[in-house]
Amino acid sequence: MSTTIRMPEVLANVTEAAVQKWLVAAGDEIAVGQPFAEIETEKAVVEYTAETAGTVLELLVAEGDSIDVGAPIAVVGQAGESAEPEPAAPDAEPAAETPAVSPSATDPESAAPVAEAAVQSPSSPAPASAPAAAPSASAADAPSASSTPAAPATDEPTAGRRFISPLVRRLAREHGLSLDEVQGSGPDGRIVRRDIEALLTDAPSASAPAPASPASAPPASAPAQTSPPAATAPGAEPELVPHSRMRKTIARRLTESKNQVPHFYLTADCRVDALLAMRAEINAAGTVKVSVNDLVVKAVAGAFRDVPEANRTWSDDGMLQHGSVDIGIAVSLDDGLVVPIVRGVEGLSVSALGAQIADLAERGRGGKLRPDEMEGGSFAVSNLGMFGTQSFSAIINPPQAGILAVGAARQMPVVVDGALEVGSVMSVTLSADHRAWDGALAARWLAAFVSRIEHPLTILA
Amino acid sequence: MPRQRRLESTAPWVELSTTAADWKNADPALLATMLGQLHLIRAFEERVLELAGEGLVHGPAHSSIGQEGGAVGSIVGLRTTDAVNGSHRGHHQFLAKAITHVSQGKLDLTSLVDDTLQGVLQRTLAEILGLAQGFCAGRGGSMHLQWFEAGALGTNAIVGGGAPMATGNAYAQKHSGTTDLTINYFGDGAAQIGSVLESMNLAAAWKLPVCFFVENNLYAVATRIEESVADTRLSVRGQGFGIPSWRVDGMDPLAVHLAMEQAAEVMRSGGGPAVVEAEVYRFFHQNGPYPGSAFGYRTKEEEAEWKKRDPLDRVAREMIKLGLIDEAGVQQVRDQAIAAMDAATDNLLEADPDSQGKRRIRPELWPDPDFVDVGVRGDASELAELRAVEPLTDTRERESMKFVDAVAGVMERRMGEDERILVLGEDVHRLKGGTNGATKGLATAFPERTLGTPISENAFAGLGGGLALDGRFVPVIEFMYPDFLWVAADQVFNQIGKARHMFGGQNPVPLVLRTKVAMGSGYGSQHLMDPAGIFATSAGWRIVAPSTAADYVGLMNAALALGDPVLVIEHVDLYGEKDEIIAGDLDYIIPPGNAAVRREGKDVTVISYLSMVKHSLEAIEQTGVDAELIDLRWLDRASLDWETIETSVKKTNAVLIVEQGAVGTSYGGWLADEIQRRLFDWLDQPVQRVTGAESSPSISRVLERAAIARTEEVVAGLETVRRHAGGAA
Repeated sequence: MSTTIRMPEVLANVTEAAVQKWLVAAGDEIAVGQPFAEIETEKAVVEYTAETAGTVLELLVAEGDSIDVGAPIAVVGQAGESAEPEPAAPDAEPAAETPAVSPSATDPESAAPVAEAAVQSPSSPAPASAPAAAPSASAADAPSASSTPAAPATDEPTAGRRFISPLVRRLAREHGLSLDEVQGSGPDGRIVRRDIEALLTDAPSASAPAPASPASAPPASAPAQTSPPAATAPGAEPELVPHSRMRKTIARRLTESKNQVPHFYLTADCRVDALLAMRAEINAAGTVKVSVNDLVVKAVAGAFRDVPEANRTWSDDGMLQHGSVDIGIAVSLDDGLVVPIVRGVEGLSVSALGAQIADLAERGRGGKLRPDEMEGGSFAVSNLGMFGTQSFSAIINPPQAGILAVGAARQMPVVVDGALEVGSVMSVTLSADHRAWDGALAARWLAAFVSRIEHPLTILA
Repeated sequence: MPRQRRLESTAPWVELSTTAADWKNADPALLATMLGQLHLIRAFEERVLELAGEGLVHGPAHSSIGQEGGAVGSIVGLRTTDAVNGSHRGHHQFLAKAITHVSQGKLDLTSLVDDTLQGVLQRTLAEILGLAQGFCAGRGGSMHLQWFEAGALGTNAIVGGGAPMATGNAYAQKHSGTTDLTINYFGDGAAQIGSVLESMNLAAAWKLPVCFFVENNLYAVATRIEESVADTRLSVRGQGFGIPSWRVDGMDPLAVHLAMEQAAEVMRSGGGPAVVEAEVYRFFHQNGPYPGSAFGYRTKEEEAEWKKRDPLDRVAREMIKLGLIDEAGVQQVRDQAIAAMDAATDNLLEADPDSQGKRRIRPELWPDPDFVDVGVRGDASELAELRAVEPLTDTRERESMKFVDAVAGVMERRMGEDERILVLGEDVHRLKGGTNGATKGLATAFPERTLGTPISENAFAGLGGGLALDGRFVPVIEFMYPDFLWVAADQVFNQIGKARHMFGGQNPVPLVLRTKVAMGSGYGSQHLMDPAGIFATSAGWRIVAPSTAADYVGLMNAALALGDPVLVIEHVDLYGEKDEIIAGDLDYIIPPGNAAVRREGKDVTVISYLSMVKHSLEAIEQTGVDAELIDLRWLDRASLDWETIETSVKKTNAVLIVEQGAVGTSYGGWLADEIQRRLFDWLDQPVQRVTGAESSPSISRVLERAAIARTEEVVAGLETVRRHAGGAA
């Protein structure tokens, strides 16, 4: 008896997704929990693990193809079993052949098992090679495709739709939780309260309603760092390259941000001679390498410690005052960017912070970030210094209230006490959400940041 | 050859007709009043048919045209404190009683309608049209006319349905020390129905002053009397119950009056009930303005013969013969009646602006749609002055007592304090407190108020309903087993449950119905239901289901004080339990809206009542699930403690409703529905339920056990909850 694996709804309300990469091939033996495919949605690439053990009989979609959530993507069954669907099977078998399970008199849920079992066993092979003709995953269709006796109800998740209890739906909405990676432990894999208890504890403001649009997407500086298309002959028609999901998301979210968030900008120059000297000293002494960016992020956290009232974000219901300093780090990809969040930066050592940023950046480039690692945060840092950019301004990544655009440190003439000297200077531009920050607050915060950078030991303190 | 001796019934049975001497001896004022009433009723009924023909009467209009003589003859001599009730064809009886009441029994034919009487005619017509100014606020319409002040108890659309309640009213009259009487009117179609026959028997056994007045108009809709009975003289029914009976020509109002005088003498003097059969004829079909012959079940010739006996003509002819009136005088009486109806009609109708030449109801006279549920039950304000106690937190000394002794104890205490309380049911006065001892001591302390009834649940439940509507007594009815509610279903649900709302929402129905759940006792399929679900889904009833003796005291006291019918559910498993009450206090109430949290917990809200509260506690301990257990106490829609349920569910996010009985008639269905709609976003799993099987419990011990829920089933229910919470499967 084979099982059809369907495209999961890895994110709530996502209607289509693509297999970015198959991690198994036809003929492979798979076990429950084994990584099966990488599923790409507009927001994230998620590793999809097998929920059924058996032999992969056939992969039904090619890597990169977008298909509807719920459409069949693979067939798993016994080794040697044919994946070819018996052509007439799904429709020709009358539903009535599903034997009725007579309800047990003492079982208070007596009627339930019949329905559950019928829905759960799409037992005849799914159409193997024609995803377009595949039945939809709706529960109503499934029983009519069943030509074998209904299996006893199990807790195996039903393909196609994730079950989430009403309570969890509400809590996820209120706390801005992503349930993509949550494994449901209730019947049919339903996500129930206990499955999100850890997430609730981690949520930045468990008691306050979170902003409507959790930010898991790229912000800001979006230095579309694409390599130009291969040279084409002059006069040739431009080639239409379909948008990736990430590109669509960047376009949508940044447009929203610019349209809806009233940005204002403050620029400052920082002397970074002392900072660079300290960094050289640390890197010469320790085994851990510290980057300028790590120190900048740490200084940002320090500035929030100096001006704690700035650590707040706008929501329609009220101002969210944050305790922890959670900072988004813009990480550029080959074509796009992601902004993973480092949480509790104020409590991390520079080396631990550096290790976290490195890990997030690496996983971000590999598409391995979990959605919850890209959600929330009150502020972000975008650093294009490594490209030699002198200064730029970045677009805020809602719901964050600000983003600091960091340029390259460069030697230039500076005047100190009326005398000209050569110094290393780094320009930074703060983009702030005027709904959350006023000009004076932003100025105080920026001054605190500059002070930390220019007195780098305070960054370590 | 065996010897035979002819047996005679002990009850007299006579046919009565008038002679010329009777007319001559009759009080001219009586004859004039009868003529006036007959004409008022005829003009009224003609107007109703006219409006029905214009489509202005919603629903059927059962005309009494042709039958006025029976009602007028029997009612014209009654007191205001005498009472009548009737059937779907009851305009004539209602009007006769109302007119007799407002005119003090005397009409002046030269000035037939005064302002008060004009008001009665208009309010009656308004009621039939369904308007707010009607006697029942437009709720009752043609078939449910009630005016207590005039002694009109309410007409009834269930054939025979009014007989038990009339019997109850007669009980109240007799036992309040009056010589008043009650007449229950019904037709030939009802003379064969159970509640009428049960009521005749009960009234005869208890010598109650109620007259069973059958208007034999020969047709039950279109079925002729010969098709329905062997002896078409329906007053023969009295012979079977030992009730003196009269047969009389109903087209002769004086004959009816004389028969009723004789019957009233029996009733007022303590002789018990009477049966009066009046032969009458409705000139029209069952309802609407067409003769029966138009429908082919009788001939025009037959109708013409009966029309010659029109009671209006008969009285006029006799009065003219005696020189009491002339033809012009009769015409003036008719003209006055028509003018009165014109005036009433003009106040209720207006020209329809949308339809040339048509009339419509004046729009401002309709009831407000918001009135739809007003008065389904009272607002419980009658409990406001009573002392409420919460046994959970009350710290006074306790006195140990078996549960069943608390049942009998609190009733004895209340009966001692309140002489209105009357206990009735099968064997409640014998066997040392009925079959379970729940009425122990009452028959000794209050023999005249502890009534063992014949086995006729419809009659004694309805008698209780009549007592409750009357208000001089507070009946406590016992059904030995809950399943008997089906036997008495008409009285329990159609009459008692609906009486307050149907007749306008004003008049209280203070009644307590006790019954015991007996699952586990081996009484089988027809005795072992839990009635909570049926009553909870039937409007009008409140329900309590105590799980402890101390709760029983407070809940029974509240039930007895409420102006609504209250079902008190007991359980045989609880009767024998060693329990405790607050020492020396049998007088407090536990008001509606007070559930008890028996155990606090965070993982699931278990909602239960009655004996299943203890089973739930056991199951919670066995499974180790950290459950919060709510003992509902009050079960009906209006009395449920929503606040406690909502607070708990918002904490636990899971619900398990626990009850013992069959899934079909279960209580939890409506509650689960209500919870999922009120608390959807707080639920982490479906509302789970523990119930019995689909079948009724069988006699076989094994099958009975399999059909009901006890601790083991609650354990299974808690495991289901746990699995749905992501716990061990």
